[in-house]
Amino acid sequence: MPPSTSLRQAWQEWWEGSCNLRAWWTLARYDIVLRYRRSILGPLWLTISMGAMLLGIGPLYTELFGASKTEFFPHLALGIIFWQFIAGSINDGCTTFSNAANHIKQGDNLLAVFGWRVWARNLIQFAHHIVLIVPLAIWTGLRPVPANLLFFVGFTIVLVNLLAAAFSLGIVCARFRDVPQVVSSLMQFLMFVTPVFWLPDRLPAKAQALLLNPFAILLDVVRGPLLDKPPPAWAWMTILGWTVVNVLVAAVLFTRKRAQIVYWL
Amino acid sequence: MTQIRLQDVSVAFPIFGAHGTSLKHTLTASVTGGRIGRDAGVTIIQALQDICLDIQEGDRVGVVGHNGSGKTTLLRTMKGVYPPQSGRREVAGRIASLVEPVQGMEPEATGWENIALRGVLTGVSHSEMQRITPEIAEFSGLGDYLEMPVRTYSTGMLMRLAFSIATSIRCDILLMDEWLSVGDADFKERAEVRLREVVEQSGILVLASHSAELIARECNRVVQLEHGRVVRDAPLERTPPTRS
Repeated sequence: MPPSTSLRQAWQEWWEGSCNLRAWWTLARYDIVLRYRRSILGPLWLTISMGAMLLGIGPLYTELFGASKTEFFPHLALGIIFWQFIAGSINDGCTTFSNAANHIKQGDNLLAVFGWRVWARNLIQFAHHIVLIVPLAIWTGLRPVPANLLFFVGFTIVLVNLLAAAFSLGIVCARFRDVPQVVSSLMQFLMFVTPVFWLPDRLPAKAQALLLNPFAILLDVVRGPLLDKPPPAWAWMTILGWTVVNVLVAAVLFTRKRAQIVYWL
Repeated sequence: MTQIRLQDVSVAFPIFGAHGTSLKHTLTASVTGGRIGRDAGVTIIQALQDICLDIQEGDRVGVVGHNGSGKTTLLRTMKGVYPPQSGRREVAGRIASLVEPVQGMEPEATGWENIALRGVLTGVSHSEMQRITPEIAEFSGLGDYLEMPVRTYSTGMLMRLAFSIATSIRCDILLMDEWLSVGDADFKERAEVRLREVVEQSGILVLASHSAELIARECNRVVQLEHGRVVRDAPLERTPPTRS
């Protein structure tokens, strides 16, 4: 019986691997802890380096754009934090399987474990960054408002997309080793055409199309609610559409290619 | 019931970016084990072809063959690492594998952490792990070194740790790629005793080795691989170990 490409079988394998939370969480935690093993402050460096970046870039850009501290600085800071999370996860997703070759060849775990591991690893990093929202809110006078609750909806959408990307990019990049380079160049480019550093309402009319890029919307659904600027309904619909596409692509790739992944490592 | 059944199992590796000239590939095909073919610009190594093996409880199978004849791939296929491209694999029982056990270690993590990590990855429950961790530590004889990152270990120490972990976890089927090749005399002796215990407990042993003497000593059945095919599969009279 050649490896089954039935959706049911694939789903079953994926689910079983996903339920092995102990395995993927431990791997993800080790990834972070071991990276900072020989430093005194450990993973706190994640917070410090992000803080340093925001301190450096924030006041400068606020002056450069002639914007107000209360409006622009939270926009920029959250933009950088969320962008780092999204772009970082996507770049990292390229290594889901290629970097796990040593574990995969031991044959103890289902492949889904390694997709979740990358996802969780980036989530841990993000947690170290997002705590900066507290000093940020105090300094710029950001206050909790009811619209903030929409953040949880937006964040769930982001998490689903990043998980799907960890699988589909992991599979494609295990086979085609140029793709990680393509992805990282693309993310670099996207960082500038997505309103990470600039305010969307300063955009000239002829460049409005930039706001249609899915990354701009993805950023908007998590950042907007926190800044009391919830995204419009069309943005939610569009990003839900993208999410469905993303999940479908990951499901198809995983169903059809999962049996071949180990042969590419 | 413990068993491994492989029916017409074939395993082939696509090698991307390897462009063997025809002469070179003819030559390599004749001096190494695997059969190297080409398909649409991709080099294909046929590592296993139409393998039929029926291994039942009590079998002590020795796998012999040249370098590259498919011994390790066969063990990994039994373990379930490589899903066969054709044929079927049926396994009943928990498999412990000593195929490159050092590979599954995290170099920056300490010995203790690696024990915990292997436990989690092989699906050993938390309470079971708490029970066997001191055993593993003691058997490895690494003492205070367990506090050190394993990247500081020598090859022998790494092997000791990997062996101690792998043989502490209960299993029905033991897959081994070569007998213990490293470790000092003292450890080797203890490891032999431990291994014999595990082998006695486990229903099936599959041991790939180049040593005919070892196979004769440990196994009651021999499977010979050549170019990824089984060319001999015969029962073996077990010769009692002759101690010098």
